[in-house]
Parts: sequence; C-alpha cells; structure tokens
Amino acid sequence: MSSTSDVRKGVIIRQSHDLYVVVEFQHVNPGKGAAFVRTRMKSLSSGKVVEVTYKTSETVDIVQVDFRTMQFLYKTGDKYAFMNMESYEQIEMDGDFIGDDAKYLKEGIQVVVGLYEDRPVSLQLPTKIKYKVVDAPPAVRGDSATGNVTKEIILDNGLKVQAPIFIKEGEEVLVNTETGEYSARA
Amino acid sequence: MSNWSDLKNNYRLKNIYDTRINILRLIREFFWALDFVEADTPIAVKYPGQEPYLNPISITIHDARSTTHQMYLRTSPEYALKKLLAAGFDKIFEIGKCFRDFESFGGNHNTEFTMLEWYRAPGKYQDIMDDTENLFKYIGRHLEIKKLRNREMEIRVDCQWERLSMKEVWQKFINVNLDNYLEIEKLRNLAKEKGYKTDDSDAYEDIFFKIFLNEIEPYLGNATPVFVYDYPACMASLSRLCERDNRYAERFELYVGGLELANAFGELTDANEQKKRLEKDRELRAKLGKATWPVDEDFINALAGLPATALVQAGVALGVDRMVLLFTGAKDLNEVIFGAVADQIEK
Repeated sequence: MSSTSDVRKGVIIRQSHDLYVVVEFQHVNPGKGAAFVRTRMKSLSSGKVVEVTYKTSETVDIVQVDFRTMQFLYKTGDKYAFMNMESYEQIEMDGDFIGDDAKYLKEGIQVVVGLYEDRPVSLQLPTKIKYKVVDAPPAVRGDSATGNVTKEIILDNGLKVQAPIFIKEGEEVLVNTETGEYSARA
Repeated sequence: MSNWSDLKNNYRLKNIYDTRINILRLIREFFWALDFVEADTPIAVKYPGQEPYLNPISITIHDARSTTHQMYLRTSPEYALKKLLAAGFDKIFEIGKCFRDFESFGGNHNTEFTMLEWYRAPGKYQDIMDDTENLFKYIGRHLEIKKLRNREMEIRVDCQWERLSMKEVWQKFINVNLDNYLEIEKLRNLAKEKGYKTDDSDAYEDIFFKIFLNEIEPYLGNATPVFVYDYPACMASLSRLCERDNRYAERFELYVGGLELANAFGELTDANEQKKRLEKDRELRAKLGKATWPVDEDFINALAGLPATALVQAGVALGVDRMVLLFTGAKDLNEVIFGAVADQIEK
C-alpha cells in the first residue's frame, strides 16, 4: 500500500475492483482543515472518468507501473508506433487511447510511456515541443493596430497554432503541449 | 505559467495579467466607495496563526548586533486586522501576500498568494456575504465580464447568488440530515456505510470532509455562485456560535464552479474562549508533529479591549488569485500569477 503523497499524474490506482490511471490530481485544503488530494482518474476497463478525493496520508493502492522513454516512429491508420529507447522494442497504441495528444506527435520526439503488465496505460508528452513552421501568412499592415496581434501558422506535423505576426515560414518555434499554445521562438 | 516571455508572446496570458491588475484596482475602488480604510500590516510576524493544518514558512532575521530572531511569514493577516479593530477602526480591508508551505505549485495553489481580507465591526456575516456578492458584480460590470469560468463551467455573475446552510446542502445533495451526524461516532458510521476508509486517527472534520469533498463540493456553485453557511460548531475555531442553534457556528464559504474562494466568520470576540480554542489548536499542532509557537497574547488582549460597538464583528478571507482565475477563465492558478513558484523553481 502507498500513501497519497505518491499519487502523480500517470500512476495507476486499484480501487473498487478496477484499475484507474490518474489524469489529474490536486491538493485541497477545505477551509483551514486537513489536506486532501483530489484526483481525476480514468478507468482502464471502461474509460470512464471519475473524481475521488482522499485524505492526505490515507493509504491508496498504487499499482507498480514501468515508466519508459519511447520515441514516436510513425502512424499507420489509427495505430501509433513507438520504440522503447532502451530495448529498441516497438509497441503500438490506439488513437483512441492517445486522444487529443496525438496532434502534438511528430516523428522522432520522445515521450514517457507508462506500462502495466506490458500494456501501455499512460503517455506523457514533453511540456514543450519544437516544430518547424511550414506555413505562415505574411503579416498585414494594421494588424497590430486593430489588436489582431496573432495569426494562424502551420507546423511541420500539420499542427495549427496562433503565433505572433512576426513569425515566418522556416523558423523553429516551441509549442506548450499543456495549453496547445505558441510559447517562444526555438 | 507566466513569465516575461510568456506575457510578451502570448496574447491570452497578457490579457489575463491586464485583467489581474484591473481587478486589484477595482477591489480598492469598491471598498473606498464604501468608506473602508485600506490597512497595511506585517508579512513577517512573530506569532502566526495556530491553524493545525497550515504551515507557515519559518524565517530568521537579525538585528544590527547579529542577534537572531525567529519569525514566520503570515498565512493570513487576520490577527493584525482584528488588532486594528480593537484600535477603533470599524471598516478595514487589506490586499496582501500570504504564504502557506507544503502546498502544490500550481493547480489551485501557489506557496505565495494574494489574499483579500475585510472586516466590519460592527458587522454580521450576512453583511459580508452581501459585500462579497456586490464586489464580484461590481468587478464584472466594470470589466464587462458576464460569466465566471472554471474548467468547462460558466456561471453568470449578475444572477441571484444562492445562500444555503451546510445542513440544507447535505439534505439537497446526499439526502442526509446533518443534525443527526454532529457527533463523531455517528458520522463515522455514516462514512463507513458509504464505503469510506476511516480510523480512530480521523477527527470529526476529517470524516466530514471525506463525504463533503467527494459527494457535495464538486457540485457546489455550478449553476450560480453559492454561499454555504453555518458549519458544525467544532469546525470553526475563530467564529461565534449561531444564536438560533448553538450546535452550529457562524462561518461561511463561497463556492463558484466547484472552486472554494472565501472563508468567513461571524467573529468570536470572547477573549477567554478564543484563548482556550487557540491553545487547543496549538496542542493539536504539537500532536501532529508540527512546529509550535505561543498563542499571540497581544491578540487575546486586543479582543479583551474591543470597543463595545465592535463586539459583533464579521470578516472574510478571499483568494484574489482564484478570483482572477474565475474572471479570466485561466486554466491554472499559475496562469494568473506573474513568476509563480513553479515558474521560478521548475524551469
């Protein structure tokens, strides 16, 4: 048994005969009382998301998960292929499982994959990923005067983000994968 | 996250910061218009609060002869403001930095955060509810923001805000009559029936919140902002007991979209009773293995010396960062704070 201080994004908790992966957790101190940990967890069997709040120091049944650094290789149909950077073994994940994060993937980037009984149960992207700009419409005079200080640019994996008007085609930029927003020039 | 390059490059984050600065100005204008005085009290204090579960940051200062003095960063300006009430101020507010250690870097927390507190003496906690609701509506009107946003929820500011007693809330959401569960053993049995783990180390409050946080709080304030008032008496160590039912105490919290924003008391002004409760809190701190310090005698003396007009007083602490989050729909508290702890430490 583990304690709530071991709860992190990506850990697997056994709770009422099901396994859940923690997608979000946060400390709450109601009023000025004892601390609690609120978690949002996704059932590994049904995909249903539930919210459970534990008292800090309460015991929680955390299942051992292997976290491995993997490189994204390619996508075929709805399958995404990754390579374990230590063993060079390849695994595949469904688009459904990866969800919205799929749009950030590009060939060669490294992610952290949680494995439980050799089955992928979580995927964590780097906070910031570098992309090359493949399309950036030229800035139009008067844009900044009307408060329109961003424009849509297209990146080398097809991702579209809003970026400042001075960004040009061929430049490299960093995108924040937590917010999906342009972060800075790389 | 918000550092200088984020503000420079990200229009959304820049907007959030502009809104924050405007909100700080509007808070001051709101209280000045009501003839409140803006107080300015110390951040470094010798005697911080005794709340058993808060962790003040310990600091050491030195005088010119290099003698060391143990001080702490305040977790709230409450004691200092109540001392000013004893000095004769009748309507005061303060906007200032407070610190609570051992809390998350981000989410709904930051170790250093901005607190707004205000007090009325004389005043009742219902007056403070009115102030709170009026303040939000005033800010909303001036910023032309009609909706408060948290996660995917949108709540209108200018609607009629709800006021529900804790007893009504338990009845409404889980169909339990709280009157029957004001003793720890009864509440423990209820928690067990509901499948919660609980043991002898759990205080009444712990069991209360296991049920409340799982089954009630996430749904509070999802349609309109809601004040939840009158807490079981054992859960409000700085507040007076309700006159109509002394099993409950005058305390309220404000919830908007599941987010807890403010905690208020009909303030306890009986110096002896206050000292007793603070000593009890101090003992609990010691039992929990936390740092302890003496009860602030000057605070107790201030209560004993309150002018007759200030014996019925009320006040509130409101998290300004969370308020900015709601007005801007920011995703995380780090987005509303320039140079949040996470931005300084985790880069």
